[in-house]
Amino acid sequence: MFHVSKSYEAGSFALRDVSLEFGRGEFVFLTGPSGAGKTSLLKLIFAAERPSEGQIVVLGRNIARLGAAVVPDLRRRIGVVFQDFKLLPKRTVEENVALALDVVGTPRRESRAKVFAILKQLGLQHRRYHHPLSLSGGEQQRVAIARALVNEPEILLADEPTGNLDPDLTVDIMDLIASTATRGTTVVVATHEMGIVTRYGKRAIRLDQGRITEDRQAVAALS
Amino acid sequence: MKLWVRAVYFVRSAWSGIRMSPITSAIGAVTIGISLLLLGAFALLVENMEGVLYKLGDELFVTAYLEAGLGAEEQQQLAALVGTVEGVESVRLVDQAEALERFRTGVGRGAALLEGLSSNPLPASLEITLVPERRSAGGMAIVVDSIDGLEGISDLTSGRDWVEGYLRAVGLVRGIGYGLGAILALATLLIVANTIQLAVFARRDELEILALVGASRSFMQTPFLLEGLLQGAAGGAMALLLLFGLFQLVLPGFEFGLEFVLGGVQPHFFAPGQSLVMVAAGAGLGFFGSAAAVAGSWRS
Repeated sequence: MFHVSKSYEAGSFALRDVSLEFGRGEFVFLTGPSGAGKTSLLKLIFAAERPSEGQIVVLGRNIARLGAAVVPDLRRRIGVVFQDFKLLPKRTVEENVALALDVVGTPRRESRAKVFAILKQLGLQHRRYHHPLSLSGGEQQRVAIARALVNEPEILLADEPTGNLDPDLTVDIMDLIASTATRGTTVVVATHEMGIVTRYGKRAIRLDQGRITEDRQAVAALS
Repeated sequence: MKLWVRAVYFVRSAWSGIRMSPITSAIGAVTIGISLLLLGAFALLVENMEGVLYKLGDELFVTAYLEAGLGAEEQQQLAALVGTVEGVESVRLVDQAEALERFRTGVGRGAALLEGLSSNPLPASLEITLVPERRSAGGMAIVVDSIDGLEGISDLTSGRDWVEGYLRAVGLVRGIGYGLGAILALATLLIVANTIQLAVFARRDELEILALVGASRSFMQTPFLLEGLLQGAAGGAMALLLLFGLFQLVLPGFEFGLEFVLGGVQPHFFAPGQSLVMVAAGAGLGFFGSAAAVAGSWRS
Protein backbone atom coordinates (compact mmCIF):
# COMPACT_ATOMS: atom_id res chain seq x y z
CA MET A 1 0.00 0.00 0.00
CA PHE A 2 1.80 3.17 -1.19
CA HIS A 3 0.68 6.66 -0.19
CA VAL A 4 -2.96 5.68 -0.20
CA SER A 5 -5.70 8.18 0.52
CA LYS A 6 -9.41 7.58 0.50
CA SER A 7 -11.94 10.35 0.41
CA TYR A 8 -15.72 9.90 0.30
CA GLU A 9 -16.44 13.63 0.17
CA ALA A 10 -14.29 16.46 -1.11
CA GLY A 11 -11.95 17.65 1.64
CA SER A 12 -12.85 14.85 4.05
CA PHE A 13 -10.42 11.90 4.21
CA ALA A 14 -11.13 8.45 5.66
CA LEU A 15 -7.48 7.55 5.00
CA ARG A 16 -4.66 9.96 4.32
CA ASP A 17 -1.27 9.07 2.80
CA VAL A 18 -1.12 5.55 4.26
CA SER A 19 1.83 3.34 3.29
CA LEU A 20 1.95 -0.23 4.60
CA GLU A 21 3.22 -3.66 3.77
CA PHE A 22 2.00 -7.00 5.12
CA GLY A 23 4.07 -10.17 4.79
CA ARG A 24 2.72 -13.64 3.95
CA GLY A 25 1.44 -15.37 7.10
CA GLU A 26 1.71 -12.17 9.14
CA PHE A 27 -0.87 -11.44 11.85
CA VAL A 28 -1.60 -7.72 12.13
CA PHE A 29 -4.00 -5.70 14.25
CA LEU A 30 -5.45 -2.42 13.03
CA THR A 31 -6.39 -0.36 16.05
CA GLY A 32 -7.78 3.05 16.72
CA PRO A 33 -11.04 4.70 17.74
CA SER A 34 -14.27 4.57 15.74
CA GLY A 35 -13.91 6.55 12.52
CA ALA A 36 -10.13 6.16 12.47
CA GLY A 37 -10.23 4.51 9.04
CA LYS A 38 -9.84 0.82 10.00
CA THR A 39 -12.88 -0.38 8.04
CA SER A 40 -11.98 1.80 5.05
CA LEU A 41 -8.54 0.23 4.96
CA LEU A 42 -10.00 -3.29 5.02
CA LYS A 43 -12.49 -2.35 2.29
CA LEU A 44 -9.63 -1.18 0.11
CA ILE A 45 -7.85 -4.50 0.56
CA PHE A 46 -10.81 -6.59 -0.64
CA ALA A 47 -11.63 -4.08 -3.38
CA ALA A 48 -14.97 -2.99 -1.94
CA GLU A 49 -13.60 0.53 -2.39
CA ARG A 50 -10.99 2.07 -4.69
CA PRO A 51 -8.31 4.42 -3.38
CA SER A 52 -8.74 8.11 -4.21
CA GLU A 53 -4.95 8.41 -4.43
CA GLY A 54 -2.00 6.03 -4.27
CA GLN A 55 -1.57 2.35 -5.18
CA ILE A 56 -2.55 -0.86 -3.40
CA VAL A 57 -1.12 -4.16 -4.54
CA VAL A 58 -2.95 -7.18 -3.11
CA LEU A 59 -1.89 -10.70 -4.11
CA GLY A 60 -0.06 -9.23 -7.09
CA ARG A 61 -2.98 -7.11 -8.34
CA ASN A 62 -3.20 -3.34 -8.27
CA ILE A 63 -6.55 -2.49 -6.70
CA ALA A 64 -6.52 1.05 -8.13
CA ARG A 65 -6.48 -0.35 -11.66
CA LEU A 66 -8.43 -3.55 -11.12
CA GLY A 67 -11.23 -4.14 -13.67
CA ALA A 68 -14.67 -4.91 -12.21
CA ALA A 69 -14.63 -8.35 -13.84
CA VAL A 70 -11.43 -9.32 -12.00
CA VAL A 71 -12.63 -8.28 -8.52
CA PRO A 72 -14.46 -11.61 -7.87
CA ASP A 73 -11.27 -13.57 -8.62
CA LEU A 74 -9.41 -11.52 -6.03
CA ARG A 75 -12.15 -11.88 -3.42
CA ARG A 76 -12.12 -15.67 -3.76
CA ARG A 77 -8.58 -15.53 -2.38
CA ILE A 78 -9.59 -13.33 0.57
CA GLY A 79 -11.81 -14.32 3.49
CA VAL A 80 -13.71 -11.57 5.29
CA VAL A 81 -15.33 -11.68 8.75
CA PHE A 82 -17.63 -8.92 9.98
CA GLN A 83 -18.83 -7.79 13.38
CA ASP A 84 -22.46 -8.40 12.34
CA PHE A 85 -21.58 -11.87 10.94
CA LYS A 86 -23.46 -11.29 7.65
CA LEU A 87 -25.16 -14.68 7.65
CA LEU A 88 -28.34 -15.50 5.74
CA PRO A 89 -31.04 -16.28 8.31
CA LYS A 90 -33.13 -18.45 5.99
CA ARG A 91 -30.21 -20.70 5.06
CA THR A 92 -28.75 -23.40 7.27
CA VAL A 93 -25.26 -23.17 8.71
CA GLU A 94 -24.07 -25.62 6.07
CA GLU A 95 -25.61 -23.58 3.25
CA ASN A 96 -24.16 -20.33 4.59
CA VAL A 97 -20.65 -21.77 4.67
CA ALA A 98 -21.12 -23.45 1.28
CA LEU A 99 -21.82 -20.07 -0.40
CA ALA A 100 -18.09 -19.45 -0.67
CA LEU A 101 -17.66 -22.83 -2.40
CA ASP A 102 -20.70 -22.37 -4.66
CA VAL A 103 -19.18 -19.29 -6.29
CA VAL A 104 -16.07 -21.22 -7.32
CA GLY A 105 -18.13 -24.09 -8.72
CA THR A 106 -17.20 -26.75 -6.17
CA PRO A 107 -19.23 -29.93 -6.79
CA ARG A 108 -21.94 -30.57 -4.20
CA ARG A 109 -20.38 -33.67 -2.65
CA GLU A 110 -16.95 -32.05 -2.33
CA SER A 111 -18.52 -28.89 -0.98
CA ARG A 112 -20.39 -30.80 1.73
CA ALA A 113 -17.22 -32.61 2.75
CA LYS A 114 -15.24 -29.37 2.97
CA VAL A 115 -18.00 -27.63 4.92
CA PHE A 116 -18.22 -30.54 7.34
CA ALA A 117 -14.44 -30.51 7.84
CA ILE A 118 -14.25 -26.79 8.61
CA LEU A 119 -17.32 -26.91 10.88
CA LYS A 120 -15.77 -29.83 12.75
CA GLN A 121 -12.55 -27.87 13.12
CA LEU A 122 -14.56 -25.01 14.64
CA GLY A 123 -16.67 -27.35 16.79
CA LEU A 124 -19.90 -26.67 14.92
CA GLN A 125 -20.48 -29.89 12.98
CA HIS A 126 -23.51 -30.76 15.12
CA ARG A 127 -25.07 -27.39 14.21
CA ARG A 128 -24.77 -27.68 10.44
CA TYR A 129 -28.51 -28.08 9.77
CA HIS A 130 -29.48 -25.28 12.16
CA HIS A 131 -30.37 -21.78 11.08
CA PRO A 132 -28.12 -18.91 12.23
CA LEU A 133 -30.75 -17.27 14.42
CA SER A 134 -30.98 -20.40 16.56
CA LEU A 135 -27.24 -20.12 17.38
CA SER A 136 -25.47 -18.04 20.02
CA GLY A 137 -23.45 -14.96 19.00
CA GLY A 138 -20.18 -16.85 19.35
CA GLU A 139 -21.47 -19.72 17.23
CA GLN A 140 -22.71 -17.33 14.57
CA GLN A 141 -19.29 -15.68 14.41
CA ARG A 142 -17.64 -19.08 14.12
CA VAL A 143 -19.96 -19.84 11.17
CA ALA A 144 -18.86 -16.57 9.57
CA ILE A 145 -15.22 -17.56 10.16
CA ALA A 146 -15.92 -21.00 8.68
CA ARG A 147 -17.32 -19.32 5.55
CA ALA A 148 -14.27 -17.07 5.33
CA LEU A 149 -11.84 -19.98 5.74
CA VAL A 150 -13.52 -22.79 3.81
CA ASN A 151 -11.81 -21.72 0.58
CA GLU A 152 -8.40 -21.64 2.29
CA PRO A 153 -7.83 -17.94 1.55
CA GLU A 154 -4.43 -16.34 1.33
CA ILE A 155 -5.66 -13.35 3.32
CA LEU A 156 -8.17 -13.23 6.17
CA LEU A 157 -9.68 -9.85 7.04
CA ALA A 158 -11.74 -9.43 10.20
CA ASP A 159 -13.57 -6.21 11.00
CA GLU A 160 -14.30 -6.01 14.76
CA PRO A 161 -14.93 -9.78 14.84
CA THR A 162 -15.52 -9.83 18.58
CA GLY A 163 -17.45 -6.58 18.86
CA ASN A 164 -20.74 -8.35 19.61
CA LEU A 165 -19.34 -11.09 21.83
CA ASP A 166 -18.80 -11.49 25.57
CA PRO A 167 -15.17 -11.70 26.87
CA ASP A 168 -15.00 -15.53 27.07
CA LEU A 169 -16.17 -15.94 23.51
CA THR A 170 -13.85 -13.15 22.39
CA VAL A 171 -10.82 -15.22 23.39
CA ASP A 172 -12.20 -18.33 21.64
CA ILE A 173 -12.85 -16.46 18.42
CA MET A 174 -9.51 -14.65 18.46
CA ASP A 175 -7.65 -17.92 19.10
CA LEU A 176 -9.38 -19.35 16.04
CA ILE A 177 -8.42 -16.38 13.88
CA ALA A 178 -4.86 -16.37 15.20
CA SER A 179 -4.46 -20.08 14.41
CA THR A 180 -5.08 -19.41 10.70
CA ALA A 181 -1.98 -17.19 10.55
CA THR A 182 0.16 -20.11 11.65
CA ARG A 183 -0.99 -21.97 8.51
CA GLY A 184 0.42 -19.24 6.21
CA THR A 185 -2.64 -17.03 5.87
CA THR A 186 -2.05 -13.31 6.26
CA VAL A 187 -4.49 -12.10 8.92
CA VAL A 188 -5.55 -8.49 9.41
CA VAL A 189 -7.90 -7.80 12.33
CA ALA A 190 -9.47 -4.40 12.88
CA THR A 191 -10.38 -3.85 16.52
CA HIS A 192 -10.68 -1.09 19.07
CA GLU A 193 -10.27 -3.55 21.98
CA MET A 194 -6.72 -2.97 23.17
CA GLY A 195 -6.96 -5.93 25.57
CA ILE A 196 -6.96 -8.32 22.62
CA VAL A 197 -4.03 -6.57 20.98
CA THR A 198 -1.99 -6.77 24.17
CA ARG A 199 -2.93 -10.41 24.72
CA TYR A 200 -1.58 -11.62 21.35
CA GLY A 201 1.43 -9.30 21.15
CA LYS A 202 1.32 -9.17 17.35
CA ARG A 203 2.12 -6.26 15.07
CA ALA A 204 -0.34 -3.45 15.75
CA ILE A 205 -0.94 -0.47 13.48
CA ARG A 206 -2.73 2.42 15.07
CA LEU A 207 -4.86 4.69 12.91
CA ASP A 208 -6.25 8.04 13.94
CA GLN A 209 -8.25 10.30 11.66
CA GLY A 210 -7.10 8.32 8.65
CA ARG A 211 -3.37 8.52 9.40
CA ILE A 212 -0.99 5.91 10.79
CA THR A 213 0.09 7.17 14.20
CA GLU A 214 1.97 4.04 15.32
CA ASP A 215 3.23 0.82 13.75
CA ARG A 216 4.35 -1.39 16.62
CA GLN A 217 6.09 -4.61 15.63
CA ALA A 218 5.22 -7.92 17.21
CA VAL A 219 6.41 -8.67 20.73
CA ALA A 220 6.12 -11.87 22.73
CA ALA A 221 2.56 -12.64 23.72
CA LEU A 222 1.63 -11.95 27.29
CA SER A 223 -0.23 -15.15 27.78
CA MET B 1 -17.90 -30.54 -14.80
CA LYS B 2 -17.84 -27.02 -13.39
CA LEU B 3 -20.43 -25.93 -15.93
CA TRP B 4 -22.74 -28.70 -14.79
CA VAL B 5 -22.13 -27.83 -11.13
CA ARG B 6 -22.96 -24.21 -11.86
CA ALA B 7 -26.09 -25.15 -13.82
CA VAL B 8 -27.30 -27.21 -10.84
CA TYR B 9 -26.55 -24.30 -8.49
CA PHE B 10 -28.44 -21.84 -10.72
CA VAL B 11 -31.50 -24.08 -10.95
CA ARG B 12 -31.46 -24.68 -7.18
CA SER B 13 -31.04 -21.01 -6.49
CA ALA B 14 -33.82 -20.01 -8.91
CA TRP B 15 -36.14 -22.60 -7.43
CA SER B 16 -35.33 -21.43 -3.92
CA GLY B 17 -36.11 -17.85 -5.02
CA ILE B 18 -39.52 -18.96 -6.29
CA ARG B 19 -40.18 -20.85 -3.05
CA MET B 20 -39.16 -17.87 -0.96
CA SER B 21 -41.74 -15.59 -2.62
CA PRO B 22 -44.40 -17.90 -4.04
CA ILE B 23 -47.11 -15.24 -4.33
CA THR B 24 -45.08 -12.75 -6.36
CA SER B 25 -43.77 -15.57 -8.51
CA ALA B 26 -47.31 -16.83 -9.08
CA ILE B 27 -48.44 -13.32 -10.05
CA GLY B 28 -45.70 -13.21 -12.69
CA ALA B 29 -46.60 -16.63 -14.07
CA VAL B 30 -50.35 -15.93 -14.10
CA THR B 31 -49.83 -12.58 -15.85
CA ILE B 32 -47.82 -14.26 -18.57
CA GLY B 33 -50.43 -17.03 -18.72
CA ILE B 34 -53.35 -14.61 -19.22
CA SER B 35 -51.49 -12.68 -21.92
CA LEU B 36 -50.57 -15.84 -23.76
CA LEU B 37 -54.09 -17.22 -23.41
CA LEU B 38 -55.49 -14.19 -25.27
CA LEU B 39 -52.72 -14.24 -27.84
CA GLY B 40 -53.03 -18.01 -28.23
CA ALA B 41 -56.77 -17.68 -28.88
CA PHE B 42 -56.07 -15.23 -31.69
CA ALA B 43 -53.29 -17.39 -33.06
CA LEU B 44 -55.57 -20.43 -32.99
CA LEU B 45 -58.29 -18.56 -34.88
CA VAL B 46 -55.80 -17.37 -37.53
CA GLU B 47 -54.35 -20.88 -37.77
CA ASN B 48 -57.80 -22.36 -38.43
CA MET B 49 -58.77 -19.61 -40.88
CA GLU B 50 -55.58 -20.25 -42.83
CA GLY B 51 -56.46 -23.94 -42.72
CA VAL B 52 -59.73 -23.09 -44.48
CA LEU B 53 -57.82 -21.42 -47.29
CA TYR B 54 -55.52 -24.41 -47.61
CA LYS B 55 -58.35 -26.91 -47.63
CA LEU B 56 -60.60 -24.95 -49.99
CA GLY B 57 -57.66 -24.48 -52.32
CA ASP B 58 -58.32 -28.00 -53.60
CA GLU B 59 -61.81 -26.98 -54.60
CA LEU B 60 -60.90 -23.67 -56.22
CA PHE B 61 -60.98 -23.68 -59.99
CA VAL B 62 -61.40 -21.17 -62.78
CA THR B 63 -64.41 -21.38 -65.10
CA ALA B 64 -64.04 -20.05 -68.66
CA TYR B 65 -67.36 -19.60 -70.47
CA LEU B 66 -67.13 -20.17 -74.23
CA GLU B 67 -68.65 -18.05 -76.95
CA ALA B 68 -71.92 -19.35 -78.30
CA GLY B 69 -70.93 -19.94 -81.89
CA LEU B 70 -68.07 -22.41 -81.30
CA GLY B 71 -68.39 -25.89 -82.69
CA ALA B 72 -67.46 -29.02 -80.73
CA GLU B 73 -64.09 -29.35 -82.45
CA GLU B 74 -63.19 -25.71 -81.75
CA GLN B 75 -64.21 -26.17 -78.13
CA GLN B 76 -61.88 -29.20 -77.87
CA GLN B 77 -59.03 -27.24 -79.48
CA LEU B 78 -59.58 -24.35 -77.07
CA ALA B 79 -59.60 -26.74 -74.10
CA ALA B 80 -56.31 -28.21 -75.32
CA LEU B 81 -54.83 -24.73 -75.73
CA VAL B 82 -55.85 -23.67 -72.21
CA GLY B 83 -54.32 -26.89 -70.93
CA THR B 84 -50.90 -25.68 -72.10
CA VAL B 85 -51.07 -22.44 -70.05
CA GLU B 86 -48.54 -22.43 -67.23
CA GLY B 87 -50.16 -23.11 -63.88
CA VAL B 88 -53.02 -25.14 -65.33
CA GLU B 89 -53.18 -28.71 -64.07
CA SER B 90 -56.16 -29.97 -66.04
CA VAL B 91 -59.05 -28.71 -68.19
CA ARG B 92 -62.47 -30.27 -68.42
CA LEU B 93 -64.90 -29.27 -71.14
CA VAL B 94 -68.51 -28.94 -69.97
CA ASP B 95 -70.67 -28.75 -73.08
CA GLN B 96 -74.08 -27.08 -73.24
CA ALA B 97 -75.95 -30.32 -72.68
CA GLU B 98 -73.98 -31.17 -69.51
CA ALA B 99 -74.38 -27.63 -68.23
CA LEU B 100 -78.16 -27.90 -68.68
CA GLU B 101 -78.25 -31.25 -66.94
CA ARG B 102 -76.23 -29.89 -64.01
CA PHE B 103 -78.59 -26.94 -63.74
CA ARG B 104 -81.60 -29.15 -63.82
CA THR B 105 -80.34 -31.47 -61.10
CA GLY B 106 -78.20 -29.12 -59.09
CA VAL B 107 -80.60 -26.24 -58.47
CA GLY B 108 -83.71 -27.01 -56.48
CA ARG B 109 -86.21 -25.38 -58.79
CA GLY B 110 -84.00 -25.47 -61.87
CA ALA B 111 -86.29 -27.82 -63.72
CA ALA B 112 -89.27 -25.49 -63.28
CA LEU B 113 -87.27 -22.49 -64.46
CA LEU B 114 -86.28 -24.26 -67.64
CA GLU B 115 -89.81 -25.25 -68.56
CA GLY B 116 -91.04 -23.44 -71.63
CA LEU B 117 -87.59 -22.67 -73.05
CA SER B 118 -87.24 -23.80 -76.62
CA SER B 119 -83.44 -23.75 -76.72
CA ASN B 120 -80.56 -24.32 -74.23
CA PRO B 121 -79.50 -20.89 -72.89
CA LEU B 122 -76.49 -22.15 -70.95
CA PRO B 123 -73.02 -21.72 -72.47
CA ALA B 124 -70.39 -24.42 -72.73
CA SER B 125 -67.50 -23.88 -70.35
CA LEU B 126 -64.02 -25.05 -69.40
CA GLU B 127 -63.40 -26.03 -65.79
CA ILE B 128 -59.77 -25.27 -65.21
CA THR B 129 -58.00 -26.86 -62.27
CA LEU B 130 -54.80 -25.16 -61.16
CA VAL B 131 -51.55 -26.75 -60.07
CA PRO B 132 -51.34 -26.68 -56.20
CA GLU B 133 -48.83 -23.80 -56.21
CA ARG B 134 -51.32 -21.55 -58.01
CA ARG B 135 -54.24 -22.26 -55.64
CA SER B 136 -54.18 -18.85 -54.04
CA ALA B 137 -55.51 -15.40 -54.86
CA GLY B 138 -52.22 -14.30 -56.38
CA GLY B 139 -51.58 -17.57 -58.22
CA MET B 140 -55.10 -17.60 -59.55
CA ALA B 141 -54.73 -14.04 -60.85
CA ILE B 142 -51.65 -15.02 -62.89
CA VAL B 143 -53.46 -17.93 -64.58
CA VAL B 144 -56.64 -15.89 -65.18
CA ASP B 145 -54.60 -13.11 -66.81
CA SER B 146 -52.97 -15.68 -69.14
CA ILE B 147 -56.29 -17.16 -70.24
CA ASP B 148 -58.26 -13.93 -70.41
CA GLY B 149 -58.39 -12.63 -73.98
CA LEU B 150 -57.98 -15.99 -75.69
CA GLU B 151 -60.21 -16.12 -78.75
CA GLY B 152 -63.43 -18.09 -78.10
CA ILE B 153 -63.66 -17.24 -74.37
CA SER B 154 -66.46 -14.86 -73.47
CA ASP B 155 -66.13 -14.68 -69.71
CA LEU B 156 -64.03 -15.94 -66.81
CA THR B 157 -65.06 -16.53 -63.21
CA SER B 158 -62.99 -17.73 -60.31
CA GLY B 159 -63.04 -17.82 -56.50
CA ARG B 160 -60.38 -15.09 -56.53
CA ASP B 161 -62.59 -12.38 -55.05
CA TRP B 162 -63.72 -14.71 -52.28
CA VAL B 163 -60.17 -15.78 -51.56
CA GLU B 164 -58.99 -12.17 -51.45
CA GLY B 165 -61.85 -11.19 -49.11
CA TYR B 166 -61.12 -14.11 -46.82
CA LEU B 167 -57.42 -13.29 -46.84
CA ARG B 168 -58.28 -9.75 -45.79
CA ALA B 169 -60.36 -11.16 -42.92
CA VAL B 170 -57.46 -13.42 -41.89
CA GLY B 171 -55.10 -10.44 -42.13
CA LEU B 172 -57.44 -8.35 -39.98
CA VAL B 173 -57.63 -11.01 -37.27
CA ARG B 174 -53.87 -11.47 -37.46
CA GLY B 175 -53.33 -7.68 -37.27
CA ILE B 176 -55.56 -7.42 -34.19
CA GLY B 177 -53.59 -10.33 -32.73
CA TYR B 178 -50.27 -8.59 -33.41
CA GLY B 179 -51.49 -5.28 -31.96
CA LEU B 180 -52.95 -6.93 -28.91
CA GLY B 181 -49.83 -9.07 -28.64
CA ALA B 182 -47.53 -6.04 -28.64
CA ILE B 183 -49.57 -4.28 -25.93
CA LEU B 184 -49.92 -7.41 -23.79
CA ALA B 185 -46.26 -8.34 -24.23
CA LEU B 186 -45.20 -4.89 -23.08
CA ALA B 187 -47.56 -4.96 -20.09
CA THR B 188 -46.41 -8.47 -19.21
CA LEU B 189 -42.74 -7.51 -19.48
CA LEU B 190 -43.34 -4.63 -17.08
CA ILE B 191 -45.16 -6.82 -14.56
CA VAL B 192 -42.52 -9.58 -14.75
CA ALA B 193 -39.77 -6.97 -14.47
CA ASN B 194 -41.39 -5.60 -11.31
CA THR B 195 -41.82 -9.09 -9.87
CA ILE B 196 -38.14 -9.89 -10.42
CA GLN B 197 -37.08 -6.49 -9.13
CA LEU B 198 -38.94 -7.30 -5.91
CA ALA B 199 -37.12 -10.63 -5.78
CA VAL B 200 -33.76 -8.89 -6.24
CA PHE B 201 -34.66 -6.46 -3.47
CA ALA B 202 -35.79 -9.26 -1.16
CA ARG B 203 -32.46 -11.06 -1.68
CA ARG B 204 -30.16 -8.04 -1.52
CA ASP B 205 -28.46 -9.37 1.67
CA GLU B 206 -27.68 -12.62 -0.07
CA LEU B 207 -26.33 -10.74 -3.10
CA GLU B 208 -24.12 -8.62 -0.86
CA ILE B 209 -22.68 -11.73 0.78
CA LEU B 210 -22.23 -13.48 -2.55
CA ALA B 211 -20.31 -10.45 -3.84
CA LEU B 212 -18.14 -10.56 -0.71
CA VAL B 213 -17.20 -14.19 -1.22
CA GLY B 214 -16.25 -13.56 -4.84
CA ALA B 215 -19.37 -14.20 -6.91
CA SER B 216 -19.21 -12.65 -10.36
CA ARG B 217 -22.04 -10.44 -11.59
CA SER B 218 -23.26 -13.11 -14.02
CA PHE B 219 -23.19 -15.69 -11.21
CA MET B 220 -25.48 -13.49 -9.12
CA GLN B 221 -27.75 -12.48 -12.02
CA THR B 222 -28.27 -15.85 -13.69
CA PRO B 223 -30.62 -17.31 -11.04
CA PHE B 224 -32.93 -14.30 -11.45
CA LEU B 225 -32.96 -14.72 -15.23
CA LEU B 226 -33.71 -18.40 -14.74
CA GLU B 227 -36.44 -17.51 -12.26
CA GLY B 228 -38.08 -15.27 -14.89
CA LEU B 229 -37.67 -17.97 -17.51
CA LEU B 230 -39.28 -20.60 -15.27
CA GLN B 231 -42.15 -18.26 -14.39
CA GLY B 232 -42.66 -17.57 -18.10
CA ALA B 233 -42.55 -21.24 -19.08
CA ALA B 234 -45.06 -22.03 -16.32
CA GLY B 235 -47.30 -19.21 -17.59
CA GLY B 236 -46.98 -20.48 -21.16
CA ALA B 237 -47.84 -24.04 -20.12
CA MET B 238 -50.79 -22.77 -18.09
CA ALA B 239 -52.08 -20.76 -21.07
CA LEU B 240 -51.69 -23.79 -23.33
CA LEU B 241 -53.64 -26.05 -20.97
CA LEU B 242 -56.39 -23.47 -20.47
CA LEU B 243 -56.67 -22.87 -24.20
CA PHE B 244 -56.86 -26.61 -24.83
CA GLY B 245 -59.50 -26.95 -22.12
CA LEU B 246 -61.55 -24.11 -23.61
CA PHE B 247 -61.10 -25.59 -27.08
CA GLN B 248 -62.49 -28.94 -25.91
CA LEU B 249 -65.20 -27.72 -23.55
CA VAL B 250 -66.45 -24.43 -24.93
CA LEU B 251 -66.03 -24.91 -28.67
CA PRO B 252 -69.12 -27.07 -29.19
CA GLY B 253 -71.29 -24.16 -27.97
CA PHE B 254 -69.95 -21.92 -30.73
CA GLU B 255 -70.44 -24.31 -33.60
CA PHE B 256 -72.74 -21.98 -35.53
CA GLY B 257 -70.38 -19.00 -35.33
CA LEU B 258 -67.40 -21.12 -36.27
CA GLU B 259 -69.32 -22.62 -39.18
CA PHE B 260 -69.73 -19.04 -40.43
CA VAL B 261 -66.02 -18.27 -40.09
CA LEU B 262 -64.50 -21.61 -40.98
CA GLY B 263 -67.10 -23.01 -43.39
CA GLY B 264 -67.19 -26.76 -43.26
CA VAL B 265 -63.64 -27.09 -42.01
CA GLN B 266 -63.28 -28.92 -38.68
CA PRO B 267 -61.43 -26.66 -36.20
CA HIS B 268 -58.16 -28.12 -34.94
CA PHE B 269 -55.83 -27.32 -32.01
CA PHE B 270 -52.16 -26.38 -32.28
CA ALA B 271 -49.73 -29.05 -33.44
CA PRO B 272 -47.18 -30.21 -30.79
CA GLY B 273 -44.49 -27.97 -32.31
CA GLN B 274 -46.77 -24.92 -32.18
CA SER B 275 -47.70 -25.75 -28.57
CA LEU B 276 -44.02 -25.78 -27.70
CA VAL B 277 -43.63 -22.36 -29.35
CA MET B 278 -46.33 -21.05 -27.00
CA VAL B 279 -44.50 -22.32 -23.92
CA ALA B 280 -41.23 -20.98 -25.35
CA ALA B 281 -42.88 -17.58 -25.93
CA GLY B 282 -43.84 -17.52 -22.24
CA ALA B 283 -40.30 -18.45 -21.25
CA GLY B 284 -38.97 -15.71 -23.52
CA LEU B 285 -41.30 -13.10 -22.00
CA GLY B 286 -40.22 -14.15 -18.51
CA PHE B 287 -36.55 -14.11 -19.46
CA PHE B 288 -36.58 -10.66 -21.06
CA GLY B 289 -38.73 -9.24 -18.25
CA SER B 290 -36.25 -10.43 -15.66
CA ALA B 291 -33.30 -9.29 -17.80
CA ALA B 292 -34.76 -5.77 -17.78
CA ALA B 293 -35.31 -5.97 -14.01
CA VAL B 294 -31.83 -7.30 -13.29
CA ALA B 295 -30.19 -4.66 -15.48
CA GLY B 296 -32.22 -1.94 -13.71
CA SER B 297 -31.50 -3.31 -10.24
CA TRP B 298 -27.76 -3.56 -10.81
CA ARG B 299 -27.63 -0.03 -12.22
CA SER B 300 -29.33 1.33 -9.13
